[in-house]
Amino acid sequence: MSIFSVFNQLQNSSVANLISRQDHLFGAGAQLLHITGLILVLASILLVSMRLLGLGLVRVPLPQLVNATARFIWFGLILLALSGIVIFLPAAEHYYPNPVFWLKFGLLAFAIFLHLTWYRQFTKAESVRPIIARGTAALLLTTWFGVAYAARFIGFY
Amino acid sequence: MSLQEIAQWLNDTDIGIAVRESVYAFPIIEGAHLIGLALSLGLILFVDLRLIGFFLREVAVTDILQSLRRWLLLGFGLTLVTGIVLFLAEASKLIFLPVFWLKVVLIFLAGLNALWFELKWGRQAGSWQQQVVLPTGVRFAGWASLFLWFGVLSCGRLIPYLGAGL
Repeated sequence: MSIFSVFNQLQNSSVANLISRQDHLFGAGAQLLHITGLILVLASILLVSMRLLGLGLVRVPLPQLVNATARFIWFGLILLALSGIVIFLPAAEHYYPNPVFWLKFGLLAFAIFLHLTWYRQFTKAESVRPIIARGTAALLLTTWFGVAYAARFIGFY
Repeated sequence: MSLQEIAQWLNDTDIGIAVRESVYAFPIIEGAHLIGLALSLGLILFVDLRLIGFFLREVAVTDILQSLRRWLLLGFGLTLVTGIVLFLAEASKLIFLPVFWLKVVLIFLAGLNALWFELKWGRQAGSWQQQVVLPTGVRFAGWASLFLWFGVLSCGRLIPYLGAGL
């Protein structure tokens, strides 16, 4: 079964039909939850990256900051996933040929992989070598903000 | 000069025309506006969460404020500048949209709230910093900021939905 036929079936599923029968402000509500989740995730990543770069919250130990932002990252990701499904399902076929859509999800897959592996391990340490800290911050910022920037482009492409 | 004439004049500025007519300028600036939001609303969200006691309670408010203030202001600068450019590109429509004006009013109120907090509490490292539960005024400013900025965000996101018919 091709990916396109999966997308086709998703768009014609009963859930997708239910969503597309709603008022267009329902879609606006999903968009609002999506941007709220995005701000939670991006700002959390930004706080940790600023700490790694020595630009902000330098007096807060890294593990403490990572711990304090973790629940906001997960809450944000859950909001993003749920609202994202609502936005995606009724227009799945429309997204299929859009290269920016695939770019976004490629970056997102990498961002989540990074989060579950390197980020989780690395940020447990009280002190890390500055060069590694800076490199990690740069990688985190590029990946997550790249996801957001690509996502903003999908609708215009 | 009527409102319509002002809107038309803004709409016809070089920047307004350039952004409206370019294929790429609009999404590039929209993207920058979104990144500005992550810096401005995102960082102020965490300051508010600290004020109402949901984030880094063990860290003094002054430490958080001092360390984030300039990044916050940089973020608001980026959001404001990109916002003005986006406004110019669609001024003749936006100026007749009530939700746009509601957004402007809410930004003004959120700004006043921040200014009041900054002058009354933010610049003084008083004894209120060390308290486990911060003074009512401080917590009020935190909640007010959360609600007002969420209102601004909502209005902004609704603009294309409510303005589509114009």
